[in-house]
Amino acid sequence: MKELLMRPQYLMNRSGQKIAIRAKDRGHTLMLFFAGVIILSILSFCCLGVNWGRLASRSPQILEVFWKLGHISLDQADLVFVSLFETISIAVLSLLYSLLLGIVFGMFAARNVFGIPALSVFVQSFFSFLRAVPTPIWVLLMLVCIGIGPEAGVAGLCVHTTAFFTKSFAQSFEEIPDETLEAIEATGAGKVIVFMNAVLPAAFSQIVAWCGMRLEVNFSECAILGMVGAGGIGFVIANSIQGYDFGTAGLAILLVFLTAFLIERMFIAVKRIFK
Amino acid sequence: MKTLLEFRSVNKTYQNGNHALRGVSFKVKEGEFVSIIGPSGSGKSTVLRSINRLQGISSGSITFDGEEISKLRGRALRALRRRIGMIFQNYNLVLPLSVIQNALHGRLGSMGPIKGILGLYSEDDKRKALAILDELGIGDFALTRASDLSGGQKQRVGIARALMQDPKLLLCDEPIASLDPQSARTIMDLLRDQAASRGIACIVNLHQLDIARAYSDRIIGLRRGVVVFDGAPTDLDDDVLRRIYGDGFSQDNVQGGQADAHADLACA
Amino acid sequence: MRTRILLVPKKTRRMYTAFIAVIIALFVISTLSTDFDAFTLIGKSNAIWQFISEDFIPPKLPSESKVYDIFEGVLVTLALAMSSTTLAAILAFFTALFGSEQVSPYPFAARFVRSFATFLRNIPTLVWAFILFSSLGIGTGVGFAALLITSYAFMCRAFIETMEDVSDDCCESLMAVGASFPQRVFQAIVPSCVIGFISWYLYCLEVNIRASTIVGMVGGGGIGLVLFSYIKTFQYGISCSIIMVIAVMVIAVDQITGAIRRELSK
Repeated sequence: MKELLMRPQYLMNRSGQKIAIRAKDRGHTLMLFFAGVIILSILSFCCLGVNWGRLASRSPQILEVFWKLGHISLDQADLVFVSLFETISIAVLSLLYSLLLGIVFGMFAARNVFGIPALSVFVQSFFSFLRAVPTPIWVLLMLVCIGIGPEAGVAGLCVHTTAFFTKSFAQSFEEIPDETLEAIEATGAGKVIVFMNAVLPAAFSQIVAWCGMRLEVNFSECAILGMVGAGGIGFVIANSIQGYDFGTAGLAILLVFLTAFLIERMFIAVKRIFK
Repeated sequence: MKTLLEFRSVNKTYQNGNHALRGVSFKVKEGEFVSIIGPSGSGKSTVLRSINRLQGISSGSITFDGEEISKLRGRALRALRRRIGMIFQNYNLVLPLSVIQNALHGRLGSMGPIKGILGLYSEDDKRKALAILDELGIGDFALTRASDLSGGQKQRVGIARALMQDPKLLLCDEPIASLDPQSARTIMDLLRDQAASRGIACIVNLHQLDIARAYSDRIIGLRRGVVVFDGAPTDLDDDVLRRIYGDGFSQDNVQGGQADAHADLACA
Repeated sequence: MRTRILLVPKKTRRMYTAFIAVIIALFVISTLSTDFDAFTLIGKSNAIWQFISEDFIPPKLPSESKVYDIFEGVLVTLALAMSSTTLAAILAFFTALFGSEQVSPYPFAARFVRSFATFLRNIPTLVWAFILFSSLGIGTGVGFAALLITSYAFMCRAFIETMEDVSDDCCESLMAVGASFPQRVFQAIVPSCVIGFISWYLYCLEVNIRASTIVGMVGGGGIGLVLFSYIKTFQYGISCSIIMVIAVMVIAVDQITGAIRRELSK
């Protein structure tokens, strides 16, 4: 405020010079940021060591592949539909199990529910490690441990989803003002009762929003799991592309797209209702 | 006095079939201060926004400064907008920019494309902007970010931006609806004084009857897109108000800003 | 008959009930259709534990020459994410200007821009990778292209939403002073949305660090490919150390982007 009040003087003393019109803060940081991004990106481009020319010269083949994918064949439609259904089911199951786990762990991770800082720091850092490793790696490891089957897929997806929910739910829980919690605790209610009656309902609409967002992510994660060796629609896509069965691959990709699109639309509709 | 703006049987129908305006005709003379009153949804906003063509009209004609403007496009439309200032209910400032940058936005219409994009304003423009800001009592905040200002101060920046255009006409769309009564008075005072000293005509949409009465040279009453009153503030009696706001209206139980709420209730 | 006293409005209550009913229905259907059994999983927890304690831990280091491969892999993965995200952001910015109905000079074309982005976005990155691999062959460049497509589409949507949230009002006011489209873009949209854009860019960068690891696994190169080769050859101790490296890499990037966000939002 002090600088602001001095403004007219500052301008008048230098009336011969240009008049400054920018608000002084932030501009520098932004410039620094852009400069950093540009330099890093150029370095990255060099670091990749890709032969861009050759890549560009081959790019017409992309159209050719799309042309082939466009000729959808229904020969293996039953297999495609079954695996799509399996994929969706795995995505939903992992979401629901993670939802429960996420609420429980989110309760521990939120600083304001139990009020034990060490506990929440421990839970949060453990889950940020889990979150840092991409889902397909977890699924691969689960496949190694317990063999092929829906269990491996669900368990692998759950690792990442639970970690994500724990962090997001904890955030939502922490948004509830301490005063509110104190007011209810003052009535003599225990921590868990306070959580169930005050924290959870207040965060409910956010939880729904996180779920919707995560369902989209889980479906597309689940769709690609097949490509690293688990079953489902991803396996069909990878397999048929590698076997030059582009018609089946085209059908599978189309279905993946439609499902993802539907989930997105549904989520937007749900968000509107809850607003 | 010369006629500055004229509406001749203007109709506006929305795509969903709602009639926003039906046969609206009125004139505004140069330097005149006109208020438009009417319940929510009566078409007040549509009238203002069709003048600078933020919305188009369905039929009829609007002349501004002797020129037919309802069909203008592209460059000609931008040239028209340059001559008409507008003040919004929500101030519509670019919040991260400084106050003076926001005021200087009023010059964008009259600048070259590149200079405008980069925000390279001339020193004369800057000096003028500072002078206007000082006149409006916010000169000290010239380099503050617009987001740090209070509502009343933001609206003053909005006025400064409009004045920077050297407009012949100022359109004010509910300029004080988001302000507390004290700042509302200040803003209305500033508007009237600036408009009078610069000879700018003003058209103001208002919810508050008492304000409309106190400040206007003339009042236009709209109801469901039809002009039901056009005359001096002194002619605005109970009978007229009932025509504007509906039968439930009675002056005894309504004070100023509440008129609209009651009118809505009465309609319901 | 006595009616129960409702604690929440009927409509809200009905919505909650519907929500829970849908969840239970989904749960039942998907459990039945996949034969998923949580108890099998719990029963197998022994196997998981055995795997972790015997094969996975302690993390082992590969021979010295291979250690270098790991670090090169990390570098390639980071470079892949960084370059594709930046290029995607630049392209997305210009596309988004035409994808928002309030901002675009051709509002009726906005719908097409958005549908195009939706189409690109709703096909997962890895599927794109496979399509591109089959046409362009395996390599880092193709991984780059796959990441570019999805992050471009994602940022298109995010940028359009940012613009529609922030700049509706201020764009209108600049329209009212007679400013042209480029002037509106650089005087109203960019100043008011730049922080939002950057925040989405950083988010996309975080996502792409993970995604580029995965694209690497199927042939895009980088640390993902290195990890995959060790898992395939049952060298779980080394895999464990690489997973640690990946976690450290991702967490480090998250920390940096978080710090930048805090710095910029000051």
